Amino acid sequence: MWGDTILILIISIITAFFGEGVTWAMVYRTEKYQKLKQEVERQCKKLEKRKETSESIIVKNQKKKLEREEEKLKTNTRDLSLVKMKSMFAIGIAFTALLSIFNSIFDGKVVAKLPFTPISFLQGISHRNLPGSDYTDCSFIFLYILCTMAIRQNVQKLLGFAPSRAVSKQSGNMFGPQPTK
Amino acid sequence: MFQSQATWDEKDEFLDVIYWMRQVLGVTLGLIWGIIPLTGIVGLSLFFIVNAGIIYLYFSGFQKVDEEEYGGAWELTKEGFMTSFAGFLVIWIIIYSGLHFTDQDLQSYLTSSQE
Repeated sequence: MWGDTILILIISIITAFFGEGVTWAMVYRTEKYQKLKQEVERQCKKLEKRKETSESIIVKNQKKKLEREEEKLKTNTRDLSLVKMKSMFAIGIAFTALLSIFNSIFDGKVVAKLPFTPISFLQGISHRNLPGSDYTDCSFIFLYILCTMAIRQNVQKLLGFAPSRAVSKQSGNMFGPQPTK
Repeated sequence: MFQSQATWDEKDEFLDVIYWMRQVLGVTLGLIWGIIPLTGIVGLSLFFIVNAGIIYLYFSGFQKVDEEEYGGAWELTKEGFMTSFAGFLVIWIIIYSGLHFTDQDLQSYLTSSQE
């Protein structure tokens, strides 16, 4: 029973590269993005350093300065996510279309056997459109989501597109990897 | 990387090593678990223990880094964990289904459930 699982793995590898490729073409290579990214990264590092050093002795006007810089960083971060938004939309639409095609191909088909029984709220995904009540049966969508989770971030990291740690730490999960369906 | 107590120029460099180690570990454990095969809650919890344990041993026993520098042991234990877990699940499922089930198994199951 290798065929379907391997096929799904390959599909998600291809879509991960495809997604990054599109984002690269639409966003990463643009001058605006690179400038903003550099700026945000520089500010994040500076802010982090300053926070570390002046934690114990924060003088009032220093605090104000810190706040002002944080404000500036926030604006830049927002701009950055706006730039990314356009391609996110395009990719989102393309992936939804692709997903519905694959969904209909694998409709009602058990693609794999799970070595465990998923907890109840995951069973809706892992047993989607499958007949019977053997919850170790795995649907296409469950395996695909898992593959995407495993592959996407690694691809981003490999290609150097992942946001640096300082940035993701500062901006919470804003740029964190959001697994696309 | 394999040198004990190596020095790291940048914080990120060490975190990257932890990250990639985790991914390799996840895939390797998935392979082993699938071949044995380990199943159910035993397989899952063993993965958590082994994965966190090896990484913990690596950074505290082998490299002896100052955890606080990286935001505590938790921060290091959690680095790249989700991705590694997903990778582990994928390989575990693929190997387990591939080695221990045939298409016939599922086909017969499907027809019997439709009857």
